Amino acid sequence: MSDDDFLRVTDVSKWYGEEQVLHDVSFEMDRGDVTVLIGPSGSGKSTMLRCVNRLAEAQEGSILLDGEEVLSPDLDVDELRREVGMVFQGFNLFAHLTAVGNVALGPRRVLGLSETEARERAEDQLERVGLADQLDSYPAELSGGQQQRVGIARALAMEPKLMLFDEPTSALDPELIGEVLEVMHGLVDEGMTMLVVTHEMSFARAVADEIVFLDDGRVVERGPPEQLFERPEEERTGRFLERIASHD
Amino acid sequence: MSVAGTLALAAVESLGAAARATAGAPPTGLSTAFVGDAVDWEFVFRNADYLGVGALLTIGLTVASILLGFVVGFPAGAVEVYGDGYLKRAVTVAGIVLRGTPIVVILIVMYFVVGVPQINLGVASISSAMTAGILGLGLRSAAYQSQIFRATLASVDDGQLEAGRSIGLSRFEAVRYVVVPQALRRSIPGFQNEFTIVLKDTSIVFAIGLAELLTRGYDLFSEQTTAVLEVILFISAIYFVLTFTTNRALDRLGSYYAIPEGEST
Amino acid sequence: MASATRPATVRERVAESDRSVGRLLLVAAGALFWGWLAVSWVNRWLGGVLVPVGQPLVPPAAVEATLAGIPVLAAYAADAGFVVEMTPDLARGTWLTVVITGVSLALGFVIAVPLAVTRVYGRFSAWVSLAYTELLRGTPLLAQLFVLYYGLNLASYVPDAVSGVFAREVVWVAILGFTLNGAAYQAEYIRGALESVEEGQITAGRAIGLSKLETIYHVVLPQGLRYAIPSWTNEFVYLIKYSSLAGFITVPELYYRADQIAAETFRYTLIFLVTGVMYLALVLTASKLMVRVEERVAIPGLGAEREE
Repeated sequence: MSDDDFLRVTDVSKWYGEEQVLHDVSFEMDRGDVTVLIGPSGSGKSTMLRCVNRLAEAQEGSILLDGEEVLSPDLDVDELRREVGMVFQGFNLFAHLTAVGNVALGPRRVLGLSETEARERAEDQLERVGLADQLDSYPAELSGGQQQRVGIARALAMEPKLMLFDEPTSALDPELIGEVLEVMHGLVDEGMTMLVVTHEMSFARAVADEIVFLDDGRVVERGPPEQLFERPEEERTGRFLERIASHD
Repeated sequence: MSVAGTLALAAVESLGAAARATAGAPPTGLSTAFVGDAVDWEFVFRNADYLGVGALLTIGLTVASILLGFVVGFPAGAVEVYGDGYLKRAVTVAGIVLRGTPIVVILIVMYFVVGVPQINLGVASISSAMTAGILGLGLRSAAYQSQIFRATLASVDDGQLEAGRSIGLSRFEAVRYVVVPQALRRSIPGFQNEFTIVLKDTSIVFAIGLAELLTRGYDLFSEQTTAVLEVILFISAIYFVLTFTTNRALDRLGSYYAIPEGEST
Repeated sequence: MASATRPATVRERVAESDRSVGRLLLVAAGALFWGWLAVSWVNRWLGGVLVPVGQPLVPPAAVEATLAGIPVLAAYAADAGFVVEMTPDLARGTWLTVVITGVSLALGFVIAVPLAVTRVYGRFSAWVSLAYTELLRGTPLLAQLFVLYYGLNLASYVPDAVSGVFAREVVWVAILGFTLNGAAYQAEYIRGALESVEEGQITAGRAIGLSKLETIYHVVLPQGLRYAIPSWTNEFVYLIKYSSLAGFITVPELYYRADQIAAETFRYTLIFLVTGVMYLALVLTASKLMVRVEERVAIPGLGAEREE
């Protein structure tokens, strides 16, 4: 816990109306780290993720990203989101744009690249996720796995310093999950800093530097995967892992 | 007929009396009435160019009104979806009033109450009846178009806006580049409907004496009262061809801009 | 995601109370409007039991005098007196507007249901139905009224049996025109609604031994017509507004009366603003009424999204 943590989440709390969905959540990551948030549905892990790029607003606590306070009211939210990529559970590809169009929109409109530059960058990113042959396909013409890879390319095209993944494989048919995880593996190898919400335990185990287990909006336990998976200290963690394992 | 609404109604009255008088001995029957008289058809075709100019005016009036309706109606629809406070309420109330009042009343109000002037463009001038017609039809169309756009803007999934925001687009940019292009495509069927309504309702500028297709038809059969049916059937056919071709053209536009294989969630 | 149940802000509460005051005013205005119409009509039918036929319910001079005494409203006293003076004519015209709209809508519905059913389930008859709706929807209503009135001179063919119902035979021509035209539009709405009833419903109906026609009548229509209510409300509203076109074939309905007064007095602004408000009142009443109807006949899990 040094002062130069890349991302430091401290005592973040959030309410939806009367209902408190996050209770004093804290964790931190170094540059290049992969942190995986796990927990039962409704545990607040997606909400926590969304607080980091302010798609959800935390009411209390602090989120320091690269030394800057994310929760500050003076922060330029658009600037923040430019630097933090996000991949959605439901892909949320722009339905009216081709794969290239989806990826090029940000570079073109946000970064102000020229039409050609934006397209080139989009093509590069799509190649990076293995979709060089689907550049001009519309989202509805792609499989779920391909759509999600476009979603990843769209986020990467902004050259983010942090990538957020919100259950990127939950909406996919089982046979399509592999291709998306493979792309994510590739990013890990390249040294991308990633905060991931997922139920893919084998993936978490393989790539995570730290696992954070959330239940009922609270951090129950956190630690390196070996420790958390092999020797959970909390009973709740053990029960959750067993339930997940029996589903696999 | 170039004078005013009341005069139009007065003329209608006297012509009606004339029609009843000439029809004192009822025609031989509806079947012959439908076929019409060769002499009267000849009269119609002799005046085809006169009606043709009327048809051009009808088209011009329609296009101008639809454009005005779009320019005003699209932002109005956006305000109803994304706006709040007094602006939103003002837009809503204006819409209810314009949608709840007969177009003929709106036109009369534009013509007599607002008292729109003749507009001189140097090469050509737009008569005050034309201006009133465009304003009346255009603003009413804006009220209906705003409902079309309101519905389609709201129908675009929230995740689209969120994804736009996640790559750093501002709220306005995300609406502009992500939501609007999808909403506009979905608006085409409603827009098609609106186009035909405006086209047909241009006939109601008859009330303010603008010499479009129906008014010219009326002038013609006032002149030769035996040709009433022939004239009206002829102009009805023109209207039908216009609505039919417009609809097919917009069908084409719809399939041209359609997003392949429907839309993802 | 959990729904937001955060307490209302002050601004929202103000807006909310604004709305309820607005609603109350609207209801009061509606009651006044319909009360005035009802009393005017009854007075006329009974030969002027309250005030002589053709006279306003309250003396214009009295209204004028009262308003003249109130500082802010004094400037409008003369206008108000003038409006009161024209109320008997407007009430008479509104009666015809309401009757023409109501009768045409009902008759149009009777034609529209078989038109829609043949369009969806018929073979040859589907083409007839299609041709009818396309033709009627593809030409202006005003042109259609002209065909009936000037072209076919139908006013002189009104059967004796019904010719005494209205002071002018031409009212029947208008009703016929709106019925034929409205039927085409109503048929389109009903067709759309019928098509939204699931295929499985028909299969299930046939499976329990109903004939095709019986299935349509007992299973499809009860569902389809409920789906049709919102769009059918639009047609109701359209008809109220377009009934003003009857004025152009000399039917003395609301618009015609207003236009006549305007021609005599040249007070277009005032007269047509009042007329516009009256149509608006009719339209708002109709749409509120249809919302009630929709709620009354609602079945859980059945029904289309409303558009306002």
